Amino acid sequence: MSWDKRGRENELVTWKDVMEVERYVYTAGPDGEKFLRGLREGKILGRKCPRCGRVYVPPRMYCEDCFVENGEYVEVKEAYLDSFTTIYYDNADRRLDQPITVGLVRFKGASGGLLAIVQGIPEIGKKVEIVEYGIPLRVRT
Amino acid sequence: MKTNLKFRRVAAIGAGMTPFRRRMLETPQEMAWEASRRALDEAGLELRDIDCVVIGSAPDAFDGVHMKGEYLAHGAGGVMRPSSRVYVGGATGVMTAIAGWYHVASGMCKKVLAVAEEKMSTGRPHPQAVFRYIWDPITEKPLNPNLIWIFAMEMHRYMFVNKVSKEEIALVSVKNKRNAASNPYAQLGGEITVDDVLRSEVLVWPVQLLDVSPVSDGAAAMVFVDGDIARRYTDTPIWVEGVGWTLDNTSWPNRELAYPRYLENAARMAYRMAGIERPQKEIDVVEPYDPFDYKELHHLEGLMLAKRGEAPLLLKEGFFDKDGDIPSSPSGGLLGVGNPIAAAGLMKVISIYWQLKGTAGKMQVKRPVHTGVAQAWGDLMQASTVMVMRN
Repeated sequence: MSWDKRGRENELVTWKDVMEVERYVYTAGPDGEKFLRGLREGKILGRKCPRCGRVYVPPRMYCEDCFVENGEYVEVKEAYLDSFTTIYYDNADRRLDQPITVGLVRFKGASGGLLAIVQGIPEIGKKVEIVEYGIPLRVRT
Repeated sequence: MKTNLKFRRVAAIGAGMTPFRRRMLETPQEMAWEASRRALDEAGLELRDIDCVVIGSAPDAFDGVHMKGEYLAHGAGGVMRPSSRVYVGGATGVMTAIAGWYHVASGMCKKVLAVAEEKMSTGRPHPQAVFRYIWDPITEKPLNPNLIWIFAMEMHRYMFVNKVSKEEIALVSVKNKRNAASNPYAQLGGEITVDDVLRSEVLVWPVQLLDVSPVSDGAAAMVFVDGDIARRYTDTPIWVEGVGWTLDNTSWPNRELAYPRYLENAARMAYRMAGIERPQKEIDVVEPYDPFDYKELHHLEGLMLAKRGEAPLLLKEGFFDKDGDIPSSPSGGLLGVGNPIAAAGLMKVISIYWQLKGTAGKMQVKRPVHTGVAQAWGDLMQASTVMVMRN
């Protein structure tokens, strides 16, 4: 029987503990760094597979299909909303004062995309304007 | 003696690695790709030729990404094909090769890419913190033990039961770091002396700094193919002749510390499959798992390449040197090459593969070799994996 059904946790002999490393330091990798530097210059970078021409956004070192090293970095433009959702509750189950709209932003001619905070009235397929180059990205419809 | 198991013959035809380093700039996925690409290049294959992918990685908590198998998949060539992840603690690396073997041996796939990766530098202050929760939460965890404590006790017990000195054990570190000096992928190769080991900082008595392998990032990959098609790609396929693995009791206080029973079982399984009856006479080169120097001796005994307690004597006589009777850890082992957990285990298999193929370069042992054994071991001393290969 589960604890919460019996409702008498203090009668059980339990051992409380936490499970975590103090902190993690992730490396962005060579392509990740290039991408982050691009954001600082107000650019969204992608990287193109020399064999199949697929453009990865964010840029990736290798093509997952051709399995060769990707080639040139290209600036991608023409951002559009592939899908979106509106969030009313946070992860701790508290109702937000202002709902947040989050969208998957893709770029014409590129594969992949970026999560972004969406301002304005969202619509699937609609072009968006990038208002803040950062993580998270902010876009306006 | 051979078992009457029916399986297809399996050959290794390619291998690749990234260098093992303390902190790599590349992401885990990028490292997996580098190793996989090199393995495919050596095999003369492209990713489209691969039927199945096996990914090996130790705890998710090292890289700090959950579902690490899936996370690594696009770097390991696992997208849109049958992919699976194996995980048996520190024994994962050789298990990755074993899983690659049974994908082919079963007849399910013709060509398999097996990839192992670990990025140990992500978790701070030290990846050892990841092991905080492998203990019994009530009787052990409150003392906040780490793995080095337990291995220190195992080492002490091994020294006591077999009357082995610290000096004798330090010779492993000296040998492996010397071997690693000829390994282009190695992190900590070099000439050291027994005195250097004995004068290094005491971490957890009797374990000192130079008794332990370093913390590393790295990836390794191998290509296994069906025996019937191996010669289309290479004139020198290396055959997987035996595999074995054992899981002992995770309650470590219930086990004998001075002798690795888990390994003897795994080795017997692999030897039986390979038809090996007298391991010490029939095996030419070995890569035992050596995260600590005493552990190589411990494992050489478990692999039955030395009698119980005799590995230190044989080592002193040069039996396990690069030009000895059975060169042990000619790559430099974990002590010399580095220890990105899963990748380190697969590196052991790759080392044997290169030795048997004769392409180990400066690492190549002097005597001609025909039968080699790679072994890994993991976690609370309970899991061990063994692979026997022949040329």
